[in-house]
Amino acid sequence: MKSKSMESIMKTIFFISATVSIIAIVLICIFIFAGGVPFIAEYGLKDFLLGREWQPSDTPASFGILPMIMGSIYVTIGAIILGVPIGILTATYLAKFCNHKVYRFLKPCINLMAGIPSIVYGFFALVVLVPIIRDIFGGTGMNIITASILLGIMILPTIVNISESAIRAVPQSYYEGSIALGASHERAIISVVLPAARSGILSSVILGIGRAIGETMAVILVAGNQARMPAGLTKGVRTLTTNIVMEMAYAADEHRQALIATATVLFVFILIINGTFLIIKRRANNG
Amino acid sequence: MKRFLGLLLIFTVVMGIISGCSNNSDGFKADRTINVVTREEGSGTRGAFVEIVGIIEEDENGEEVDRTYEEAIVQNSTNAVMTTVAGDDYSIGYISLGSLNDTVKAVQIDGVEATAENILSGSYKVSRPFNLAYKGDLSLVAQDFLNFILSSQGQEVVANEGYVKASIQAPSYEAIGSHSGTVVVAGSTSVTPLMEKLAEAYKKLHPDVSIEIQSTGSSAGMQSAMEGTADIGMASRDLKDSELAELTNVVIALDGIAVIVNNNNPIENLSLENLKSIYMGEITSWSEIE
Repeated sequence: MKSKSMESIMKTIFFISATVSIIAIVLICIFIFAGGVPFIAEYGLKDFLLGREWQPSDTPASFGILPMIMGSIYVTIGAIILGVPIGILTATYLAKFCNHKVYRFLKPCINLMAGIPSIVYGFFALVVLVPIIRDIFGGTGMNIITASILLGIMILPTIVNISESAIRAVPQSYYEGSIALGASHERAIISVVLPAARSGILSSVILGIGRAIGETMAVILVAGNQARMPAGLTKGVRTLTTNIVMEMAYAADEHRQALIATATVLFVFILIINGTFLIIKRRANNG
Repeated sequence: MKRFLGLLLIFTVVMGIISGCSNNSDGFKADRTINVVTREEGSGTRGAFVEIVGIIEEDENGEEVDRTYEEAIVQNSTNAVMTTVAGDDYSIGYISLGSLNDTVKAVQIDGVEATAENILSGSYKVSRPFNLAYKGDLSLVAQDFLNFILSSQGQEVVANEGYVKASIQAPSYEAIGSHSGTVVVAGSTSVTPLMEKLAEAYKKLHPDVSIEIQSTGSSAGMQSAMEGTADIGMASRDLKDSELAELTNVVIALDGIAVIVNNNNPIENLSLENLKSIYMGEITSWSEIE
């Protein structure tokens, strides 16, 4: 009898724990959309999304976030170009090539990378990367390249860890089969094992994109944050996230609503990315 | 053995990076581009800076447009501006005078150094007053609070927060009137942090007085003072004529804005005109400044 009541109590506790996270996500959705949609409706969706001018303190103010949308997309693409090849090759090395000793050293290093607070990455980039880039390309050193390199480093742990488990999940028989057919170790891995793990690797890339697009505190320090259309790789850029953080402290009235609306757009981006992730995962499970 | 070699390799790489970084202070090249650093839209410091220097302009339709150079790096805090300028020989930025330290160099404007005395005398141009304004007669408790702010104790708080005192010889504070009730203070977001400190100090003396501070912006604060929804309005600028017609104002503090450059930059003096051109992107290289 006692154990039965205990069981139902515990059941309730688990249930409440589960609801807390659901309530949180529902509240966030409500807040973000209730705060952002009225402003977008008033200002005009087209003017807001495609406007090229962000001048909140002019009269009349203009709130076009296309520069920030493009900025976010550019630095994310940059991060993907730099981070994905390194990440996938590292994962392949970890899963198939390296010996036990190296693995025991490398794996914790990569896990540590995932745990470093983003502001620390940002500060590292500000004092190390920015001067180097400034010496090479001139200008301020705060530009799309710097932000992309930084984000490329920051998404490595996500890509490496998920890709590695995807590669390890490929049945051993694939590898053995291709070896038996006369393929070399390298060939077996590159032409048989990696393609078999592609949906897992793709998921890792998509989660990496999610991380890159949502990253704020590190990017704010090294991106230059100019609110104009991206003007080249060696020019500064402002992303959606940094736009919100930079101006929230002093923003009032319409300006504040515009920032919340920016968050709404960012949220939609993240929803799309996670949606894609779910679809790919489901396909992989079915196929 | 292998591990030792690995450690040695890492050590060499790290040392290489460190020596590589500390190696690039080889003289200032005047033909390099000026890297302009500004604050984000909405910041009180930026608002005051663009107004004083004249970067904000009215176009033919009477609309105010902020013409800050669009290639300017935007940083969202005083510290970030300082770190950027301290790390880049060719950059220029501006910060509140109270935050200045020796990691960067403050330049003279029109030959005048940014010091408390020069701001007080009005010869250092890039400064702004923190104004309080009220309509008609203040309630006793509000008057007492205002007396406190203008007293030597209140001005001490001003100085401790890094602002310039409005007057050097302020009288000592003497309590008058009743010490219970509510004072509503509304206005500038830039004055608000100082006002909070002042209210805190005042409440230590008179715990029964409640001081309500609304951070709404200078113009909104003046509006509330005129309408009577606030006892005292705060403004981080001079009052406009229409406001002066209805309100009495007192300056409680002055805030200087220091224009900063890297310590390696040989420049000592900038004219206000040059400063404006730099921030509007008309002058883009250090050699163009005479």
